[in-house]
Amino acid sequence: MVRIKNRYIAVQIVPQTPVQTLRLNDSTLSKCLLQNVEKYYGVYGLGLLEHGFRVKYCNERTKIAIIRCIHRGQRYVSSILPLITLIGDVRAKFRTLYVGATVIQCNKFIIKHQKHFLDRMMGQTASAKERQDLFKRVMELDMER
Amino acid sequence: MIRHRYFDVQLKFRDLDSVVLTPVFFRGCVQNSLERFFGQIGGDTTLEIIKFSAEQQRVVFRVPEEFYERTRASITLIGQYQEVPCHFRVLKTSKTPLDFIKEGENENCEEI
Repeated sequence: MVRIKNRYIAVQIVPQTPVQTLRLNDSTLSKCLLQNVEKYYGVYGLGLLEHGFRVKYCNERTKIAIIRCIHRGQRYVSSILPLITLIGDVRAKFRTLYVGATVIQCNKFIIKHQKHFLDRMMGQTASAKERQDLFKRVMELDMER
Repeated sequence: MIRHRYFDVQLKFRDLDSVVLTPVFFRGCVQNSLERFFGQIGGDTTLEIIKFSAEQQRVVFRVPEEFYERTRASITLIGQYQEVPCHFRVLKTSKTPLDFIKEGENENCEEI
């Protein structure tokens, strides 16, 4: 049996103007990325990448997302990320954080990254309730979608 | 030194009278096709027209060696020229310069 190799790309979305949350979901992000693949690599690139392409995780608060693509299409995705300046209707750019072969490794990296983010944000919240909410929102890694 | 691939292409149109056949329009047509199928990054190449004959409807042009497959695919997939149905037939490809009159003389050419 042939094993299909995937690559998981962890990216951070950096908006031009600082905002608390991005009005972004998996489908908007996915549509934006595929549109740009078509723009820069044409119908051939889109056809190659479409199979197995999926946004696995998208956190509006920390602005982190995990993109899954097939192994041989990784170059197409990672090379267009710096060229994207508009995501949905938000003017923003992508920062590639990590490229992994398994979603577990990607999760480990994101948890580490989110812990650093939490350390920074905890100092800025006033009440204990807010801190708990923030912790819950940041650390949720809902991969079921 | 850049290595090139030479193409000898025959242009076939459904209605020849309604098209303006010039080297510039032909080049634009091929480059549009390249961009549509391979995008701004994948389809960006230099296409140099060596010979052009509107009467014979034949063109000899060259592209860098690494764009040979993509150009070949794009030419095959062209279906319209100035909104007139058409198809471009690749008669010959070669690593050495081609000419209309030198048919069959070239040893490195691949006849189709």
